[in-house]
Amino acid sequence: MLIPFSMKNCFQSLYSLKIPTAGYKNIAKGGLILQSASNNIYQNLAVEDWIHDHMNLESKPILFLWRNSPTVVIGRHQNPWQECNLNIMREKGIKLARRRSGGGTVYHDMGNINLTFFTIKSKYNRMENLKLIIRALNAVQPQLDVQATDRLDLLLDGQFKISGTASKIGRVAAYHHCTLLCNTDWISLSSVLKSPYQGIKSNATPSVPSLVKNLLENDDTLTCEVLMESVAAEYAAYHKIENNIILISPTDETVFPGINKKAEELQTWEWIYGKTPKFSINTSFNLSEQSYSEIKVYVDIKNGRIEDCKIDAPDHSLPLEMLDKLSTSFIGNKFCQSETSVLINALLRTCPKDYELNTKWHLLCQKVKSIM
Amino acid sequence: MALRATRSVRVAASSLWAAAAAEAPRPLVSFPGAPAHLRARRGPGSLPFPAAAAARGLCISAQRPAIRKFTDKHEWISTENGIGTVGISNFAQEALGDVVYCSLPEVGTKLNKQDEFGALESVKAASELYSPLTGEVTEINVALAEDPGLVNKSCYEDGWLIKMTLSNPSELDELMSEDAYERYIKSIED
Repeated sequence: MLIPFSMKNCFQSLYSLKIPTAGYKNIAKGGLILQSASNNIYQNLAVEDWIHDHMNLESKPILFLWRNSPTVVIGRHQNPWQECNLNIMREKGIKLARRRSGGGTVYHDMGNINLTFFTIKSKYNRMENLKLIIRALNAVQPQLDVQATDRLDLLLDGQFKISGTASKIGRVAAYHHCTLLCNTDWISLSSVLKSPYQGIKSNATPSVPSLVKNLLENDDTLTCEVLMESVAAEYAAYHKIENNIILISPTDETVFPGINKKAEELQTWEWIYGKTPKFSINTSFNLSEQSYSEIKVYVDIKNGRIEDCKIDAPDHSLPLEMLDKLSTSFIGNKFCQSETSVLINALLRTCPKDYELNTKWHLLCQKVKSIM
Repeated sequence: MALRATRSVRVAASSLWAAAAAEAPRPLVSFPGAPAHLRARRGPGSLPFPAAAAARGLCISAQRPAIRKFTDKHEWISTENGIGTVGISNFAQEALGDVVYCSLPEVGTKLNKQDEFGALESVKAASELYSPLTGEVTEINVALAEDPGLVNKSCYEDGWLIKMTLSNPSELDELMSEDAYERYIKSIED
């Protein structure tokens, strides 16, 4: 049962009181079930940050249900160039977000449910949460064969991954969040979760690719709405609280003071790309399909910025001075297509008017841009 | 369990430090208990006090010997010549599980006591790191980039995280001694 959010007072007192008072106890005894009214990844991740930072979870765990418009979400210490196809994502308008929990890369769309279990540190128990989800699934479809693995994935029929897990542990609280694939566009999923970038050397945490399947393929009663209701009901039963799903607006500053700033931080280039662990790219390409001249590129990237860059044309198809000029001009810049475009356009204006050289130069710049 | 074996070492060491080691008061904030299956165990190569420091204590020296102090968030800091070395305790590395990534700050970062300065990612979770004291980061353990597991294998020695200056050395008095920290762990395990 969804309750449109009229419990502003509830939240204000939950926020302002670090220790329970009589009023607080009356409002939310034993836990809360929240559902986001937003499908914006940054706003929803901001809700997680806000609850984690501000709410007193002692004897009051929280379940947060949310879904997002098409987005790729990478783990805290991952490398987006290693994990996904940024070019396809740009073409299709699929967002990229970096979450604060660890773990691997996932694709979200409205066919995927995200579940976040907030507790105090001592009550942090991911397996218990997954067992709750399995009970919820079996409550809808008793024949469903879903098991949790040691890696805390949920497998359908022993082989298809329908859920992945990640978590974060803070000062006093912790959260465990996981996905649940109901009816995701798996064509988009498989195209964006494959990195085309070659020659990356990085110690970022890698993802473990898995065979996935939508629950709806097994049983068409397993829609997102049905499953969210079932998980909420199971959570309410387990924590002995009322089965009321409170709908929240992640942009409401009166309920969540400071939340919009958190959402903004999550959208900054510095967070999404700049937090990528130091890495290097060592790759080569032909200038064009017709040309056999191989260009070697070596780039060192730290905090998302180019620390070192070398571009080589071993067969001297391009003058050394031009290549040096290009590589040194990259240093200090963001490893980013749009910033590189600006730089390249400025450099092209200084390029010699020789047509052939100009064409090669243009091709080179485009190729270098495509690795970003 | 293995704490018993090291008690004799601790007793010997503590007599050396009797004058120097002022026990820190128990923290005022109470913390939730840890799962019962997590026991504080000595990892291989992790001594209660560095052997070199024990030797130094026997010599007449005006220099303050390196003493390890602990926070209630399971970080340790040991100071020498005004520079503190920070790491996580054996209890913490056991609770974390295998560390797969260490996110550490840049050299020069200024930290206030209890500021978040990085994170350790393990199979269990991404866990925040909190600065035990106020100061400036002077060095980070670059070995952890290639071998984050050092935090598990050698949390008190090779698995150190950062070194920092001490802007306010009296903050050390607010931290727990090793004995106090071990009592603290026992209290949260129960």
